[in-house]
Amino acid sequence: MKNSVILSTQPDQAPRKARSILVRMNLSMWIGFAIISALVLAAILASQLSHYPPAKQNLFDQLSPPGAAYVLGADQYGRDIWSRLLFGARYSLLIGFLAVLSAMIIGTFIGMIAGFKGGKVDIILMQIMDVILAFPSLILGIALVALMGATMTNIIAAIAFTSVPAFARVARAAVITQRDREYVQACSAMGFSGSRTLFRHILPAILPEVMVLASLWMANAVRTEASLAFVGLGIAPPAPTWGGMVRDGFQVILNSPYLALFPSLAILLLVLAFNLIGDGLRDLIDPRLKDSHS
Amino acid sequence: MLLYLAKRLGFAVVTLLSVLTLIFLMVRILPGDPVLMILGDQASPESVIAMRQRLGLDQAIGTQYLHFLTNALKGDLGNSMVTGRPVSQEVLSVLPYTLELTFASLFIGLLLGVPTGVWAAVKRNKVPDYVLRFVSLLGLSLPGFVSAIVLLIVFAINLRWFPVISAGGGEGFINRLWQMTLPVISLALIMMAYITRVTRSAMLEVLSQDFIRTARAKGARPWVVIWRHALGNCLIPISTVVGLYLGILIGNSVLTEIVFSRPGLGKLILTALSQRDYTLLQGMVVVYTLIVVIVNLATDLTYGLFDPRVQYK
Repeated sequence: MKNSVILSTQPDQAPRKARSILVRMNLSMWIGFAIISALVLAAILASQLSHYPPAKQNLFDQLSPPGAAYVLGADQYGRDIWSRLLFGARYSLLIGFLAVLSAMIIGTFIGMIAGFKGGKVDIILMQIMDVILAFPSLILGIALVALMGATMTNIIAAIAFTSVPAFARVARAAVITQRDREYVQACSAMGFSGSRTLFRHILPAILPEVMVLASLWMANAVRTEASLAFVGLGIAPPAPTWGGMVRDGFQVILNSPYLALFPSLAILLLVLAFNLIGDGLRDLIDPRLKDSHS
Repeated sequence: MLLYLAKRLGFAVVTLLSVLTLIFLMVRILPGDPVLMILGDQASPESVIAMRQRLGLDQAIGTQYLHFLTNALKGDLGNSMVTGRPVSQEVLSVLPYTLELTFASLFIGLLLGVPTGVWAAVKRNKVPDYVLRFVSLLGLSLPGFVSAIVLLIVFAINLRWFPVISAGGGEGFINRLWQMTLPVISLALIMMAYITRVTRSAMLEVLSQDFIRTARAKGARPWVVIWRHALGNCLIPISTVVGLYLGILIGNSVLTEIVFSRPGLGKLILTALSQRDYTLLQGMVVVYTLIVVIVNLATDLTYGLFDPRVQYK
């Protein structure tokens, strides 16, 4: 401290880190981004890419196998699997994104307050987070959606609720490592208020870690949404959700296994893509892991 | 040690109490009147009042809360709204199925996951490492029902090696084992993925430490260095992950149980859902939490087993 001529109120390496991530993207991140971009594009262009509306029933074509008329076949109501997959991507992406976004905002806020204030506030907030963590998340999600009713908002809220503690924990740990750094001391020396220091100066520094978690939890949110739909707690039919399609296909699995298989693979692909990105990001950001990686 | 145990137990009790409180509040705050849900919209006012009395909903909220807590601590989770049987009895009758499924999966996950993790660490940045890293990422991306459905399609429907319905009953140990195989594998794949990854990263960290170089320098065989010196020091991170994911595994067994039509906690909670049996649902959330709390406690205690330096304070 004696040697530093000017104390900066900015964390030193945060902007450089953010820039270099784009440059140093590794293979797994490229693959992950490619899959996600393709799926997002497919979701946006769903009506252009499909011949049939997703809920259109062609009763003469019930359970028709994959072929010229139906690329991936039709289900037991004669609905086109391909177009249902495309439109289903919208639900999976939207629900996953909104759930993680809300969990990220709420969880990071709670964690930052806990880490920055310390003491009783910290103990109480983190004890509440630990209680939420004590539920198996899928069971908690099932119970919440069952009690509130399976609407899109409730599903998003339930998934977000189960993911908040993870963000709170990471944000708290990150804030604690920043709290005693020079630039934070400089902030308080300048007379900045606690909230200004926390949200204008510390937040940018901990954002990379929160973002890694966000991409890993996108994977989790998509999987939870699909699992909820599979147990019958998805958005009400005839909306095409991937988990709901697996549920429908499962009823006729002995005769037409592909009906359950195609949406299952779609879910797996999307979850895998988010995990690839999260994994690659973590390698870039966590110096300890990066070291064991080179 | 005793003091530590008491402390951990105290924490577990606090967690359970908070969970019970949360459940109590959840059921009452969330929209929907349980009485109307049981009796339907057409119920006469008299029967609604009678039902309220029977469920104790006419008492003050504080009294209800105390009643709920003391009963839950005595192991009485109320009676099912549909069958009238005690919730604890309903749960205990299916609990063994879920426990046998998850512990068998955990065992197989460890049996396969630890060696592959070690292998990946030893072959770091070579082909086996890349392949294993991708495969384990694929494994932990699997929703429980996807792995189950793929296994079901391939091995039960196409190859016909295993029964499509693993009803769980069946006569004889061999038969039972045969029925369990696919459900166990479908969960073990996910567990294995987590264990492979944590073993790999823990091994990489341990292998770079001084005592490993010393062991190598004094001429210990590579095999001994890896499996005795290094792996012994990876047991703590591995048991942490096992503890963390065992709870998740038990939660996810609901998906496996549906796909293979196995009895178990998952099947029971879905029945509770479809019949709107709120006492059963509430009791089952308590049971799940109890399992997670016990698993966490057990994980903490194994640390001392694996590392004598861990002092329980």
